[in-house]
Amino acid sequence: MRSVVVFAVGLAVLLCGCKGATGTGPVVLHLSNWGGASDDPEFSRKITALYRQFERENPGIKVEIESVPDEYVQKMILSFVADAAPDVMSLDASSAGVFVNNGVLMDLAPFAKGDHGFRVSDFWPNVMAIDSRDQAIYAIPGDFTPLVLYYNKKLFDNAHVPYPGGHWTFDDFLQTAKKLTLKDKDGKVTQYGFNFPNWMPGWIVWLWNSGGDVLNPDGKSAGGALDSDKNVQAVTFLRDLVNVHKVAPNLSQTQSRGVDPFGNGETAMEISGHWEMSGFKTAPRLKMSDVGVTEVPTMLPQSKTVMYEVGFAIPKNARHPAEAWKLIKYLTGHGFQQTYQTTGIAVCARRDVATERAKAPREQLFLNIVPTARGPWGAQVVGYDFVEQEGKKMMERVLAGADPKQALTQTAQRIDSYFKVR
Amino acid sequence: MKKGKLGYLFIAPATLHLLVFAIFPMAFSVFLSFYKWNLLTSERTFLGLANYAYAFGDPQFWNAMWNSTKYALLSVPLGMAAGLLVAILVNQKLKGVTIFRTLYYIPAISSGVAISILWIYVYLPETGLINSVLGLLHINNKTDFLKNESMAMYALVFMSIWVGLGPRMVLFLSGLIGIPPSLYEAAELDGAGKLRSFWNVTLPMLAPTTFFVMVTSTIGALQVFTPVYIMTQGGPNETTDMVGYHIYVEAWSKFLIGIASAKSFVLLAAIVAISIFQFRILKNQLEGYSTT
Repeated sequence: MRSVVVFAVGLAVLLCGCKGATGTGPVVLHLSNWGGASDDPEFSRKITALYRQFERENPGIKVEIESVPDEYVQKMILSFVADAAPDVMSLDASSAGVFVNNGVLMDLAPFAKGDHGFRVSDFWPNVMAIDSRDQAIYAIPGDFTPLVLYYNKKLFDNAHVPYPGGHWTFDDFLQTAKKLTLKDKDGKVTQYGFNFPNWMPGWIVWLWNSGGDVLNPDGKSAGGALDSDKNVQAVTFLRDLVNVHKVAPNLSQTQSRGVDPFGNGETAMEISGHWEMSGFKTAPRLKMSDVGVTEVPTMLPQSKTVMYEVGFAIPKNARHPAEAWKLIKYLTGHGFQQTYQTTGIAVCARRDVATERAKAPREQLFLNIVPTARGPWGAQVVGYDFVEQEGKKMMERVLAGADPKQALTQTAQRIDSYFKVR
Repeated sequence: MKKGKLGYLFIAPATLHLLVFAIFPMAFSVFLSFYKWNLLTSERTFLGLANYAYAFGDPQFWNAMWNSTKYALLSVPLGMAAGLLVAILVNQKLKGVTIFRTLYYIPAISSGVAISILWIYVYLPETGLINSVLGLLHINNKTDFLKNESMAMYALVFMSIWVGLGPRMVLFLSGLIGIPPSLYEAAELDGAGKLRSFWNVTLPMLAPTTFFVMVTSTIGALQVFTPVYIMTQGGPNETTDMVGYHIYVEAWSKFLIGIASAKSFVLLAAIVAISIFQFRILKNQLEGYSTT
């Protein structure tokens, strides 16, 4: 009979995945992120060495990385329900509202104030603001990226079109895109001026730059904002890029290529974040020296853009908040960030590291754009993921022929009826 | 250790697994379905049956239910017919027939996500397999199957036939092998042709298999999730928004956990009702069945 008990207990422990009781041993800090295996072993080795260095500097603390490459938000929510949340949680601005607004994160402002080795002023203020509410800070930013317009200098040169630089309007952009859309003698398009994936976190900048927005300023409703005339204009403009002027491939064509058409030198312009840089580096048909960066076209006096950020947060009922803060301070510190940012995946949230890395003129262009950038709605609103799904469907319908005004109104109604029951 | 107790030891792992991963989550979902709670906050509001009332009044839920019904009505009969046909083909005494049996089964043991991604490529408008083949036949519509409102559902149904072929083939094959040859001999002596003996011997003798395949296929079809999640996300224009995916979105994009739980019990009730109905209509056929 004893074997039955041993077996059952063993199985139960296995199934529960219980965290062992805390004893006198070292404090193990679990740090969650959504990264999978890195394809750069050299970089992974450097980062691992940095974690080991933290452990040497802080005897009695061990760091364990918990990678959740898929369905990160869902898994994190469940980890809170199961009281198995990580000690330090990587927080994606796109979904930060879910955790901040539901009050499951610790306010880090008291740590920041009481720590002489930490200065809030080291960070870009509007980046720090993304996960803050009034005086409360719910995550310390690690890095971020404003969305910019990338252009391929070689394709511009080939078509004898001057590079874009500074302020330009939707129409300037359209004329440029037309000149960069090339056809062979059978009328088949060989090169597109622009790449338009139906990705709302990206195309929201077109709404903002026509003077519209997705939600009303309080973030509580979409009606009156999403279906505004300015958004109708912006969505019509985007539709026409694909359907009328045909300066961008249709969605299925883009999907069917399976490669980033800009990175492959097949389209002259695209709007995306800094993370593209790490892909451009290895793109066989795009030289880094041909990658140009400029601001998103706008109908406003000044171009606006969105910025996506990653911060580090401590769950409210963390077992080791003091140790977790030490780790966050280290992760967002100069030394760690200096090495971490060498991948070129993002812009460092620390101004010192970002400025050091901006020796290259192209990097400086990103920094120039930062003051005009705004955090995503997802950092403010619970369930913004659903809003983005509805936005994507709306764009799909419009590209398939639906009336933009009608589609926007219908989507706003759906979002509002969701916000009501939420 | 007594003999009887040893038996419990053997079923312990499976029972524990069932309790932890099925029974307990289901019971917890019942609890959730009566509350408004997004899991993260400490406060939760008891709503009684309000989540169920919301589900019944939600047109998008009914759209998803209707889409699932349509999908089941198409994919189950077609899938069963294809499974039976292939089972008959691989039941011939041919050289290398086991190779075919294996080949037809491969989709069933492949990852649903991988298969779905593969079929995205099959359905692409320009470079997809189907449009390329149609192109060879001089049909150059370049239909964008997954983004076309009138085609997307059929595209998913067609794929489901291919994916479900292997398991259905195996089940029908075992049914076919179980039919005593003496029945065919008797039919032949009575002057029955191939078609006649298929109709009057094979089909009736396969009734229990058919029944089993039908019930499990229907349940599977009503729960379909992976292809929708990977290939269409319910689009275009919600024509493929099926109930499994709809519930997922309610729970994990909108964080309406209570409503999602209530909807999943409505789905459960529907599946149980349909299964009982299927039992009823086939009862008579099954009663007279015996191979001995």
